[in-house]
Amino acid sequence: MIYNAPVKDIRFALNALADLPAICALPGNEDCTVELVDAILEEAAKFAEGVLAPTNRAGDAGAKWSPDFSVRSPEGFKEAWQQYVEAGWAGLRAPAEFGGQGLPALVSTAAEEMWCSANLAFSLAPLLTLGAVEAIHHHASEALKAIYLPRMSTGEWTGTMNLTEPQAGSDLAQVRSRAVPAEDGSYRITGQKIFITWGEHDLADNIVHLVLARLPDAPAGVKGISLFIVPKFLVNADGSLGARNDVRCVSLEHKLGIHGSPTAVMSFGDEGGAVGYLVGEPNKGLNYMFTMMNHARLGVGIEGMAVSERAYQKAVEYARERVQSRAVGSPEATGVAIIQHPDIRRMLMTMKAQIEAQRALALYTAAALDRAARHPLPEEKARNQALVNFLIPIVKGWNTEQANEITSMAVQVHGGMGYVEETGVAQYYRDARITAIYEGTTGIQALDLIGRKTASENGVTARALLAEARATADRLAAAGEASLSANLSGAVVEAERCVAFILESFASNPRLAAAGSVPFLKLMGIVLGGWQMGRAGLAALSQQGQEDADADFLNAKLITARFYGEHLLPQVSGLAAAIVEGAESALALPESAF
Amino acid sequence: MKVLVAVKRVVDYNVKVRVKADGSDVDIANVKMSMNPFDEIAVEEAVRLKEAGKATEIVAVSMGVKQCEETLRTALAMGADRAILVETDAELQPLAVAKLLKEVVAKEQPQLVIVGKQAIDDDSNQTGQMLSALLGWAQGTFASKVDLADASVDVTREVDGGLETVKLKLPAVVTTDLRLNEPRYVKLPNIMAAKKKPLDKTTPADLGVDVTPRLKTLKVAEPAKRSAGVKVASAAELVAKLKNEAKVL
Amino acid sequence: MAILVIAEHDNQSLKAGTLNTVSAAQKIGGDIHVLVAGQNAGAAAEAAKGIAGVAKVLVADAAEYAHGLAENLAALIVGLARSYSHVLAPASTYGKNVLPRVAALLDVAQISEITAIESADTFVRPIYAGNVMATVQSSDSVKVITVRTTAFEAAATGGSAVIENVDAAGDAGLSTFVGQELTKSDRPELGAAKIIVSGGRALGSEEQFKAVIEPLADKLGAAVGASRAAVDAGYAPNDYQVGQTGKVVAPQLYLAVGISGAIQHLAGMKDSKVIVAINKDEEAPIFQVADYGLVGDLFTVVPELMAELSK
Repeated sequence: MIYNAPVKDIRFALNALADLPAICALPGNEDCTVELVDAILEEAAKFAEGVLAPTNRAGDAGAKWSPDFSVRSPEGFKEAWQQYVEAGWAGLRAPAEFGGQGLPALVSTAAEEMWCSANLAFSLAPLLTLGAVEAIHHHASEALKAIYLPRMSTGEWTGTMNLTEPQAGSDLAQVRSRAVPAEDGSYRITGQKIFITWGEHDLADNIVHLVLARLPDAPAGVKGISLFIVPKFLVNADGSLGARNDVRCVSLEHKLGIHGSPTAVMSFGDEGGAVGYLVGEPNKGLNYMFTMMNHARLGVGIEGMAVSERAYQKAVEYARERVQSRAVGSPEATGVAIIQHPDIRRMLMTMKAQIEAQRALALYTAAALDRAARHPLPEEKARNQALVNFLIPIVKGWNTEQANEITSMAVQVHGGMGYVEETGVAQYYRDARITAIYEGTTGIQALDLIGRKTASENGVTARALLAEARATADRLAAAGEASLSANLSGAVVEAERCVAFILESFASNPRLAAAGSVPFLKLMGIVLGGWQMGRAGLAALSQQGQEDADADFLNAKLITARFYGEHLLPQVSGLAAAIVEGAESALALPESAF
Repeated sequence: MKVLVAVKRVVDYNVKVRVKADGSDVDIANVKMSMNPFDEIAVEEAVRLKEAGKATEIVAVSMGVKQCEETLRTALAMGADRAILVETDAELQPLAVAKLLKEVVAKEQPQLVIVGKQAIDDDSNQTGQMLSALLGWAQGTFASKVDLADASVDVTREVDGGLETVKLKLPAVVTTDLRLNEPRYVKLPNIMAAKKKPLDKTTPADLGVDVTPRLKTLKVAEPAKRSAGVKVASAAELVAKLKNEAKVL
Repeated sequence: MAILVIAEHDNQSLKAGTLNTVSAAQKIGGDIHVLVAGQNAGAAAEAAKGIAGVAKVLVADAAEYAHGLAENLAALIVGLARSYSHVLAPASTYGKNVLPRVAALLDVAQISEITAIESADTFVRPIYAGNVMATVQSSDSVKVITVRTTAFEAAATGGSAVIENVDAAGDAGLSTFVGQELTKSDRPELGAAKIIVSGGRALGSEEQFKAVIEPLADKLGAAVGASRAAVDAGYAPNDYQVGQTGKVVAPQLYLAVGISGAIQHLAGMKDSKVIVAINKDEEAPIFQVADYGLVGDLFTVVPELMAELSK
């Protein structure tokens, strides 16, 4: 099961669409140059292809839990993790003062795509560790940072997020785990957490759990939740590992996909209380989680796109090899490779076009994250933060919803051979499914999008982005791309109609806005993806005139953009109709009728 | 001890090259380029010698177009200390490369030169031997093991009948075979550090070397394709076909 | 002017590739002299004398040539080469080791692994792992060439060349032979075998490689080869490797057992007359070049094949 990292495509999106040179020019990014990023992409590609991808299939057999509460990771994972850590990849965007490389989110996002494509289940361990690093870096005391960050930044220790409890899924107000102050200033944590990704494993020497729990005097609801560090092994004053903490993995979930990543049920305090350390101030745990949520949700959006890419590659490979039926319209009776059949082509193009649009939008968002963090002008910082806030639920929701469709289409290209496990494409289909669920389901993303990200700022960012898309459509028209231009500007009109509806209905009858929220999220994904494809088309056109232009590559970019215009953008009008006119029928039936 | 390694920028081994329509050359415009795999082994061996305390400095040399800088940066990221690019747009054949390397060696005075046994583009398998001849040094080609001492190096060579070991007086040239080592994955901090390592440039003219090609490529073509034959259902059918149809048994 | 062919030998007998190289020299045209440089190499020189079409055998017999050290051989050949239009050697590890050194000392190009001769100065040679064939023309006074032996027939025997002793050129004192570990085998050598049985990674272990591939080879009187993957995995020694960077072979019958057919492997065997592939993956690329393909588990198929061959 070969994976070829699409370095050329990633480089194109980075440079032509996400303006990598400008990100390298931001204060604090002085060490980052386009040439350096090229070298990083090449080596990351080699690593993803040569080390991570070969372990993906074995990972599907799953991790093994033992009654001594240990978990054995799948064959090859431990070695791959060691190599990952030794090669320094764990520190790609970890803070430089704690041993990471502190590279821009744009660069690390590009590398993360490769890890996720190569082995999605594996990639969750570094992604969660980086999330934990981010939370500790921003909110924990200097003392806690000094103990935990150096070894988490290098990947010597991994990190987890312990949020969910059996009664507290999407609604974290229901969290019941308790934290009681101890005399030494630490806390004793008790409670049970579920769905803890890489909650227990044998990859690293220590696991640093970030745990949401309530202090004894905490107010009810989301304002009474605090964040704690609970290490698997306590850390001695000299930095060495001490006693085993009172936290254990009591079982692993049996899941639909990502079998290689152990999903743990964690029990805290079975023997009196796990030692925990308060991060930041009491009762602010949920706020702290929100600060890293953007990165985490962008990360899951990347996961969706990345598993789509892997499935697409597999589908192309199969379509080239599989000989079946004569060519449509050919008098020749001999069979041809199915890639010659028009419907297979349509499916491959549908996958390819969406993946390219999603990659471009995700990297554009990552660049906005970097600008929001480092731009010298406060107004640009704020504008980019608003962009990030608006785009993250779209990238997360749209990329992952489409990952389900794209990986399903990859199975379809394989026909019956895709439905049996032997070809391997079924694994991508199963693995993709979780991405639209964890880190906030698509429904949660869509509510966030219409509420906090659209209505509460009166649609300013939404309209600004659509105005940019319209300007791109105008430029396409001027460049002679009439069809793509018309498809994009038509979609923008529909999207603006929907933004107006969401703003109006959110104020007057939020149930109507909410009923159309997921279609609205998808619509915005398709339109903004189309905007990126339009920009890609324009970039391809302008590069075609350059000396040493890669004619075939640029031509493919242009054709893929046109395909997107003709096959994906027209879906917008159907979604718009459902959003604006369909809310009432969605809610009309009495509950008893279901 | 200073070790010099030569690295060539070639079409990546995963790329299937195509012949230009006019048959004048292969079309390598916009295809992925990488370090010649045998040269990666050469760099890796030099780095291992340094890690073992036997080499003190590693100088990587490449020749050709400006983009060879990327290949040299890779060598630096793998562990070379500094790099030299002999920059030219001219076609360089093995004899010219050997002459250029000889001049670089004269300036650098390494005790050991390690190069790949062949480049995977022209498959010549000549440069190391030629360099060794021009320098009047010993050569250990197709190495699967290199055992470096102060004044000599023992090289185990992969030869047609098996393995052969020769002892070379230093300075010497070693060319690498596949099983000498497995090159490491480059570490991210080393990629960052490589950017800051020195990379000097020179030209064939600066080195006083005439690089005019001695061989002229008249044309290139794809070899006749072998077509797939038939599938047989059993061992019995196979033996029958080999005896009666192919008549090779 | 005459053509000098460098004989590859072990002092006792000539390596088969020498005969193919003589045949390439015959295609170029001109008197053919064969150099036998060795120590106590009288038997090898006698064999060279018997190659049809060879006019003269030059014998340099000295201790410094006992093990074919390139530094010493090159010095000797360079001293002779200027009287010849062409210097040829088989493109074996022996020839590839020495001839580039000779060429550099003569300040001429070396032309590697030629597969065809268009004229006295124009040759065809594979590049890019055999995916492309280049036709190259040399402008040098002496053409120094290694010959892909599978591309040329073996020269006949029955000739009677004269033997002439030449002076040794001395020991360059640069290198010494320490020892060798040659793979011991009663089977034919890979480069000259009529039939080759090659095993791939699907064999799974060195033991199984020996237990499955070797008996089949012995039954057929064949040489044993291996894919790079099998060699890298340690199932077979390095000198078994068939492929672009290993040995290039072209037997009458090539049996690929459990070899998927990576492009580098195909480059080393695709000129075989008849190719048979046994592999359980019906999509394996090896089937695209095989004349006869048998889809099945090699651990079942090979014993069945042995039984059929015994009938």
